[in-house]
Amino acid sequence: MQMTTRAVIPALRSPGSRRLWLGLLFVSPWIIGFCGFYLYPFLATLYYSFTSFTGIGNPTFTGLANFDSLIHDTTFRTALFNTFYYTVVEVPFSTVAALGLAMLLNMNVRGQAFYRTLFYIPSIVPVVASSLIFVWIFQPSFGIVNALLADVHVNGPAWFFSITWSKPTFILLGLWGMGQPMVIYLAALQGVPKEMYEVAALEGAGPWQRLRYVTIPMISPIILFNVILSLVLSIQYFTQAQVIESPVGSPGNSTMFYVTYYYQQAFQYLHLGYASAMAFLLFILVLIVTVVLLKTSSRWVYYENEER
Amino acid sequence: MTDNIPSRRRARSWTAPAALLATSAVLTLAACGGPAASSASSASSAGGTGSASGVVNITWQTMWSGETLTLLNQMVTQFNKTHPDIHVTESNIPSATGDAKLLSEIAAGDPPDVFTEWNPVLGEYAADGTIQSMSPYLTGTYAGLEKWEYPIALQGGEYKGALYALPMSMNSWALYYNKSMLTAAGISSPPTTLAQLYADQAKEWKTPGGKLEQIGFDPDAGDNAGFEYYGSFFGAVNCFSSAGKYSFETCPAATTEANWLAQYDNYPLSDVEAMQAAYGAVAGGQDDPFVAGKEGFDMDGPWEGAQNIPVTNPSMNSNFGVEAFPGTVGQPSTFGQGNYNIIPKGAANPQAAFTFAAWLAGYDNATFTAQMDPKGGWMPASPSIVQQPAYQAWLKANPWLNVFVSQMSSSASVAPALTASESEFETAEATATEDIAERSKTPQQALVYIDQQANSAAGG
Repeated sequence: MQMTTRAVIPALRSPGSRRLWLGLLFVSPWIIGFCGFYLYPFLATLYYSFTSFTGIGNPTFTGLANFDSLIHDTTFRTALFNTFYYTVVEVPFSTVAALGLAMLLNMNVRGQAFYRTLFYIPSIVPVVASSLIFVWIFQPSFGIVNALLADVHVNGPAWFFSITWSKPTFILLGLWGMGQPMVIYLAALQGVPKEMYEVAALEGAGPWQRLRYVTIPMISPIILFNVILSLVLSIQYFTQAQVIESPVGSPGNSTMFYVTYYYQQAFQYLHLGYASAMAFLLFILVLIVTVVLLKTSSRWVYYENEER
Repeated sequence: MTDNIPSRRRARSWTAPAALLATSAVLTLAACGGPAASSASSASSAGGTGSASGVVNITWQTMWSGETLTLLNQMVTQFNKTHPDIHVTESNIPSATGDAKLLSEIAAGDPPDVFTEWNPVLGEYAADGTIQSMSPYLTGTYAGLEKWEYPIALQGGEYKGALYALPMSMNSWALYYNKSMLTAAGISSPPTTLAQLYADQAKEWKTPGGKLEQIGFDPDAGDNAGFEYYGSFFGAVNCFSSAGKYSFETCPAATTEANWLAQYDNYPLSDVEAMQAAYGAVAGGQDDPFVAGKEGFDMDGPWEGAQNIPVTNPSMNSNFGVEAFPGTVGQPSTFGQGNYNIIPKGAANPQAAFTFAAWLAGYDNATFTAQMDPKGGWMPASPSIVQQPAYQAWLKANPWLNVFVSQMSSSASVAPALTASESEFETAEATATEDIAERSKTPQQALVYIDQQANSAAGG
């Protein structure tokens, strides 16, 4: 025993250990914050997912009952489908739109700064405020969208309030906040060396070929970053649907997204055990999507300094 | 280089980081746990028996906002003035997170002494012990409190025969009609039967070129839409089996009501809901198509005429009337719900909290409550408040309010029984109502759906 203690103390006092401890000391605020606000809630959520719990009193261990109920819960399946639909359509749609807009704003035109500001401003409007504005914009009887459609003899739908159109309308609403990725794309586009375009032009590459073989590869790490961010946010879609639809999920549960259903279970019905199971599944879902995307990214993401 | 550092200096260099690490951990934990610890100590100093000065400090938490806060401040000031042995401090939290905050406070052992809550959720709270029973306090001065309340006000605060909540403001529902639209449609007087209502409102819809410009009446849309809200007019509120399960499928009155709702499925629900949402998105949600003069009939509460119309569209002030909603029960009735005060589990001063909750209901405080209720557009908890001069003056100035008040004591009026799955039931009946309107479910299928959802509340 004495031998062991003697052996350990010099090891702790070694320069390497000291550096380690000093390093830990400097990152300790982060470590404490991470443990208190991320790790503990994560582990607690995992534990509660195997219990019946209303937030008061002691949780009752129920094994896999919550997960079994989720499998048979038709509203859960609907919420999963709605979220999948939204994500699969919105992510590519917003990525192409934001990238396209960034390219336009990267062109040397008069009033460039004005246009950049103009297209960025919507993304700083609070989500709740913009959601309420869009209720009016897409109002079927006196909204501006249907008024414009009527001018070209098209009968506009009920948008947010139509089972068929509600999800596409939320996807359109998503474009309102594309200023954020647009600015990131714009910064990435400005980082592409001009010489590469000059060489490509000398080689006879047209605009499409320059885009395909110069621009996209050079900004592909940024595209990956934005796509992952967009995917995670889409899977967690909540605020707009919660603000606009009453009752939540209407019409006909067509706007019941994963997190809106999770919120309903947790904070309206106080089914915290059930909601914890949903939260844990959501974590697994996001993890799988992110890992798959990162694993496949080596096929289409180009890193300039990477040795291949 | 580091090997040359003297051993004492090395030891000191270890001590400092360790001390800093420990200090930062303690500070972080203290920052997280600080308020709870200090509240706990202050609670224990109040300790239900009073502080050193003999005054019991209690806290009251509400989810109200806007103009109502002025009223709450007046009420707290009045209570503190008339009760020198109790001091109330009021605080507000956003309604979207109100329930979650209350639960967190209870779990942390630091709940408010009194919390104002919309009563349908109280069954769940009572079932899992989140709130305390008030029955032990119904002695002495308060022995007559239950009989003092309107029966529907009392029912709204009871769970399995015990009192868990006291009403602060009650709801009452009736039929609003737009006078000028009625005249324009060639109708001389408001409808008194369901058949007349359907025929009259049918004359008021305006949809030129498929664009909705004016609504007659649509029971499926709006904040007060839903099977539950119309239940008292059909005698279809508490449909339970002998085993205590929701059983609307086997309830004839519920079938009658569902068939009545289905009568309106030929109107464009999507467009109506879009119009409701658009008007609800302005003026803090106080506006709706009826207030805007775009709807012929509306089933709503007294606040529609007392607050929403005067605040958001005063031009409607003299253009509306109110009648009892026609139904099948043969007399005026209403569906009883409201804002109730509860004493959360772990409240430091339950006795003083009960005293305050009873005072807020108007018990032993009818004169002052009769002045406050009109300002909030609230129905009172007891007929004795209505008899007060201030309340009578309000009724005299706004005679249409008599419809709402008289319904409170109608034997056909009924409050939904508080159950552990009331929230699930409310969501299910709202969805079922929409399904009927969209023809995605037959009335009978919708009733089956309500029973299934309410009886098989998912998970825990």
